[in-house]
Amino acid sequence: MMPHRIDPLGEAGLQFYSKVSASISHEIKNTLAVLNESAGFLEDVTLMARKGMNVDMERLHSLAGSMLKQVQRADTIVKNMNRLAHSLDESWTQVDVNSLLELMKNLSERTTVTRGFNVTVAVSDMPVIIATNPFFLENMIWLLLDFAMTVTGDAKTIEMQTVKADPGARIVFSGLDRLTENKFNDFQTERVRLMLAMLNSTLQTDKNNGMITLNLPGNTESPAQ
Amino acid sequence: MRILLVDDEEEFVATLAERLSLRGIDADWVISASDAEKIINTRHYDLAVLDVKMPQVGGRELKKIIEKKQPGIKTIYLTGHGSEEDYQAGIAEAEYYLMKPININDLIQKINDALGK
Repeated sequence: MMPHRIDPLGEAGLQFYSKVSASISHEIKNTLAVLNESAGFLEDVTLMARKGMNVDMERLHSLAGSMLKQVQRADTIVKNMNRLAHSLDESWTQVDVNSLLELMKNLSERTTVTRGFNVTVAVSDMPVIIATNPFFLENMIWLLLDFAMTVTGDAKTIEMQTVKADPGARIVFSGLDRLTENKFNDFQTERVRLMLAMLNSTLQTDKNNGMITLNLPGNTESPAQ
Repeated sequence: MRILLVDDEEEFVATLAERLSLRGIDADWVISASDAEKIINTRHYDLAVLDVKMPQVGGRELKKIIEKKQPGIKTIYLTGHGSEEDYQAGIAEAEYYLMKPININDLIQKINDALGK
């Protein structure tokens, strides 16, 4: 019997998707928890009012504002998750790297904040359009961000920056003060190498300045074609 | 009975404290482990309700810090996270482990049970 070998890219994609899903469901649970307490408080106040006790109208107004804010928060979370889900619709298409980077910052926020990191995104004023596999580019950014958190300096701040190239684009991760050759080599596992090949991309390090650059090509053809 | 609520979701923890107070339970709240460390230096608590997943220092680590300063304090974990690992750790370490969103009557029941009331 032939030994079964798991497709490394497929496995990486599933792990990425499941981690984001777990993080998003946690965030949604938090918004539900706030709404649950707010609704419970309204119920408490209603019962008190029925017994003839005074109701603090300002507190009720503030509570309504809080509930609306949580609904908007949940809506944003679901929209981001929906965007990630739809990035699997096409295996090679044009994307705005700026917008994709913002999406990844939002999707990874719970994970990065829980681990005590501050992630900032610096994007150009104009869209940076490239042709790529959107899902695997998102996956690559996730992996790079995860690695970046292991080599960040004491400030625990990571900046992700989009730079337009001719042709293509670059995504620069900076703040990686503890980046070394050995650590970078360890990061470049089979799945990372396959993902870079899938994206027709390369990684470049600048250890003196604590930076990793993901070079994205400007070609419009999928390397898989 | 005095309890401490620690959760980084401010609107959640503030409203929960308000609702407990309406039910005659004296509850202070803070939104981080560092704030919790400060307040336990000034007040005694019978029980702490801790969010497991918080930035920097989570509830499981905070529990150890609190117990060093206030031995014998009871703990209930809260989480929105449903991983098996967290659940197993939660039931092994704390008196109770509750998933968000919570039912306030259930929480009060667990508080009373933990304190033997």
